[in-house]
Amino acid sequence: MRKQFKKIIQLTTLSSLLVLTACGGNEPAGDQDAQTEGGAVKADIGVVSYISGPGAAYGEAITNGLKLAQEEINSNGEVEINLVVEDSAGKQDQALTAAQKLMNSENVTAIIGPTLSTEMNVVGPEADINGVPIMGTSTTAEGIPQIGEYVFRNSLPEALAIPAAIDKAMEKYDAKKVAILYGNDDVFTKSGFDTMKAAAEEKGLEILTIETFQKGQSDYNAQLTKIKGLNPDLILASALYNEGAVIMGQARKMGIDVPFVGGNGFNSPEVINIAGDAANGLIVATPWYGEKDDQKVQDFVTKYEEEYGKKPDQFAAQAYDALYIMAEALKNAGEADRDAVRDALAEIQGFNGILGEFSFDEEGDVVMEPTVLVIEGGAFKVFE
Amino acid sequence: MLAELINPYYLQVASFVLINIILGISIYITLSTGQLSLASAGFMGIGAYTSALLTLNFDLPIIVGVLAGTLMAGLFGVIIGIPTLRLKGVYLAIVTLGFGEVIRVIFVNWESLTKGAVGLSGIPHMGREILKTLKGFGFDPQVLGLQNNQFIFMTIFLLLLFITIGIIQFFRRQNSSRVGRAFAAIKLDEQAAESMGINITYYKVLAFAQGALVAGFAGTLFAHVLAYISPADFAYHRAVEILIFAVFGGSEVIWGPVFGALFLTVMPEVLRFISEYRYMIYGLVIIIMMAVRPQGLIDVNIINWIKTKVGKRGQKHGTSNTKNL
Repeated sequence: MRKQFKKIIQLTTLSSLLVLTACGGNEPAGDQDAQTEGGAVKADIGVVSYISGPGAAYGEAITNGLKLAQEEINSNGEVEINLVVEDSAGKQDQALTAAQKLMNSENVTAIIGPTLSTEMNVVGPEADINGVPIMGTSTTAEGIPQIGEYVFRNSLPEALAIPAAIDKAMEKYDAKKVAILYGNDDVFTKSGFDTMKAAAEEKGLEILTIETFQKGQSDYNAQLTKIKGLNPDLILASALYNEGAVIMGQARKMGIDVPFVGGNGFNSPEVINIAGDAANGLIVATPWYGEKDDQKVQDFVTKYEEEYGKKPDQFAAQAYDALYIMAEALKNAGEADRDAVRDALAEIQGFNGILGEFSFDEEGDVVMEPTVLVIEGGAFKVFE
Repeated sequence: MLAELINPYYLQVASFVLINIILGISIYITLSTGQLSLASAGFMGIGAYTSALLTLNFDLPIIVGVLAGTLMAGLFGVIIGIPTLRLKGVYLAIVTLGFGEVIRVIFVNWESLTKGAVGLSGIPHMGREILKTLKGFGFDPQVLGLQNNQFIFMTIFLLLLFITIGIIQFFRRQNSSRVGRAFAAIKLDEQAAESMGINITYYKVLAFAQGALVAGFAGTLFAHVLAYISPADFAYHRAVEILIFAVFGGSEVIWGPVFGALFLTVMPEVLRFISEYRYMIYGLVIIIMMAVRPQGLIDVNIINWIKTKVGKRGQKHGTSNTKNL
């Protein structure tokens, strides 16, 4: 019996050793090249991104935006950034191991990412404990920068975007009564709904009804019939664009012609492709407006189109700005030291990027003016 | 030297390997009576949520949460096991898959308790809590020449390693006991087993409950290692992933799912250098496996072959050694 047990222990230690060696091979290399050489601050920046799996389009846009920014920054010569990109496959455990690898094996100075707020909820506390500055470029849920001192984001949180959109819509349409519709089985749409409800209550709007739907649902007639009967002035919809576009299509067919106010996930040119004319009247607040009359924005759009053959979306734009913010912090810190970079990041005020003027508040959250857009005649226009 | 070897990244991967091994064992137990249950993700969720909610809302120590979560999952295993026993094969698989989905939908909709799809964050972290307790006694990881985070992952890894060894050993022992023989008999032929006087209802519920207990246990560990859970973690993807551990590694012997979990968790990490293509390779490996070795990589023959190559020593002394796997 004892022998047998000993054997098992041997086997398990052997297998665990195997695990350890199998993961090995990479020598920690960060310290030597993370030094100042003749003015240029050299730094390794880790990226945790969703580049395989169903949401890979987000990760692709983000890494494209980052790579474009990296080329420009490096050719500028003040800061030299080396990107180390790791895939998270949209899973928390994968995001965590990827971040561990970046922090401990690659010794990166800072991390950009991960893509999803759920991933950030797992990775953020770990980075904070290890003292590695981490900046989300697409994490819009409540409470992300509040995780810790080292956690930042430059993505416009729903808490800023949704109230801005509701405000403008209320002004224009003199809205008093609203109906809310949201997807309750998705983190993104659920937290968007929480923000919507709080904003509507705060602004004294009368909430006629709250309806829910599930991911992948295709028939929304039950919810919409009820909403139609209540005759709201506005419909607040926290949906991702694929469900949202279908909802708008069915609503217009039913004769509901009031404007829709959407969250960040609803904000995509795809809505127009899917819903066509029915998409007219969708109001969203966004940090990114590609048609903006600004040299920087237009340069970025042309370069991005040349390089990747499509128009940049908000994820690419936010990632692009994020790396510039990181570069600015590195330049101000003067060295690739994690604590120095964190302090420099926290001090960023009035940074002028393609998203407009950007500052961090004392918690590391975003301070900026979102642009409110509306779909009119099959295109996004600034909502006046 | 020691401090350099202990890289939290490797330890993190190893911890996930160990949790997945425990999950693999949970499905192996039910499979060893010939029942295909896909409820492991649901039981895992019950364990994780029970433990997370108890430790979050009542400030209970993690160990209490873990025990309660495990028992809760086991209880559900018994409740679900009794009625579903009438079903066999694919019908059982469908019902258990449905059960897992029901559990997930409950987590999504019971918003006052579970915060819905947003999930629970800030769950006490196993390693950090241990470190905090030890620091309370005046212990400092610097004594061992370790950083705080190295020590945290080291304790998690060692703890999980001992737990996993304990579980494997328990089920190896059980397999060569009366219970294990009864499981094997039921798997081969239910009617024959019943006519030999085996109470199949009892043993099938036992296997089902054991599987649920182990899956729930793995769920509690998952919650306290990740410190964040959401209903999407326990969707049917997870159930299929767990099933693949057993299918890939083989479900005849306990080492099958153990190896499956080890291999399939480590592979995506090793393949990180090809980033977005790594899951293609993952899929490819599984397809090739199914074509070449449908019974799974490790079966009784392989174990015996390894024994003749390596373990002459055991055969000289023991008598039971060849049969008890």
